[in-house]
Amino acid sequence: MNAEKSSLVPSFVVFHVGARRVALSRDIVAELIASPFLYSFPHTTPLIASVVLRRGRIVPVLDLGPGILGAASPPARFFLVVERRLSNISERCAIPVQGECELVSGIMLPATGQDEFVAGCLDLNGEQIDILDLEKAIEAGARMEESLIPAAEAKS
Amino acid sequence: MTQTVNSSLSRRDARRREQVAVFSIAEYSFVISAASIQEIRNTDSLGGTVVDLDRPVLRKVRHIVERDARSYYVVSGYEHFHLPPSRPTTVLILRDAPVAVLVDRIEEMAEMRVLLALPQSFRGEERTWYRGLTVLDRKVLPVANPLGFLTTRELQQIEEQNPGLLESASMRKERERV
Repeated sequence: MNAEKSSLVPSFVVFHVGARRVALSRDIVAELIASPFLYSFPHTTPLIASVVLRRGRIVPVLDLGPGILGAASPPARFFLVVERRLSNISERCAIPVQGECELVSGIMLPATGQDEFVAGCLDLNGEQIDILDLEKAIEAGARMEESLIPAAEAKS
Repeated sequence: MTQTVNSSLSRRDARRREQVAVFSIAEYSFVISAASIQEIRNTDSLGGTVVDLDRPVLRKVRHIVERDARSYYVVSGYEHFHLPPSRPTTVLILRDAPVAVLVDRIEEMAEMRVLLALPQSFRGEERTWYRGLTVLDRKVLPVANPLGFLTTRELQQIEEQNPGLLESASMRKERERV
């Protein structure tokens, strides 16, 4: 494949959330950081566990686990910094990831499963990797976490 | 007053400074502008001046406290921030709101050099609780909004259920002084 053609093939970052291997478009991934200091304070927003201070910026840590696994992700050493597109601004957040991240090129195929937060899938040496719609994955996680709070309150 | 910057530090903003008090509730530390505090008291010294609310409508407010002919709603810090019960030993009497906040302790007085906006990803009550975030001793700390401990709506609710209590407590105190 020549350089001109390869630049037309989109790139994706493939990573693990818990045991599930998923991908995000390379365009929204800023960097991968290891073992940052995590700072937490009281708040009521679902999915946000803490914040990190990165190059003078406050970056919220958003766990995708509840949305795509149905439970919080295991503790992580690595965090993928991604660009969220909120209503009229963009903002960086850090996603805890497990294990290695890979940068791959490929064509996004139509999604095959039922998960609303899956935008499509990627064929990686025969393995089908779900490509996430980040905002939908966050929404799904927030809904899941909010539905767990009344259940926890009822138990206590 | 320190101006909010868009979640990032810059050399220009580093020049603005504000005196703050760092206080703790449960395992968390918070910052509040020193200018917003009228008085810092030990809870033991408030004994005789505390009056129960007739109808506590908010879990976090059950009493009023009288100080210098003024009355203040006593806000439980741990209830306000939805934290597990703690042992408050200190009360922050605020200057521009009829509010006295119970906190565990004052950690230090410090100088805040930057106030970072709370990222937009935060979308809950914290947007009312905090003016933003700051960095002190390489730690990120939330900066409490003095007007966020009791919102206008919450004040209205308490006053509707306990009409005239705040004023009558102040007047009673004033009569005692005369």
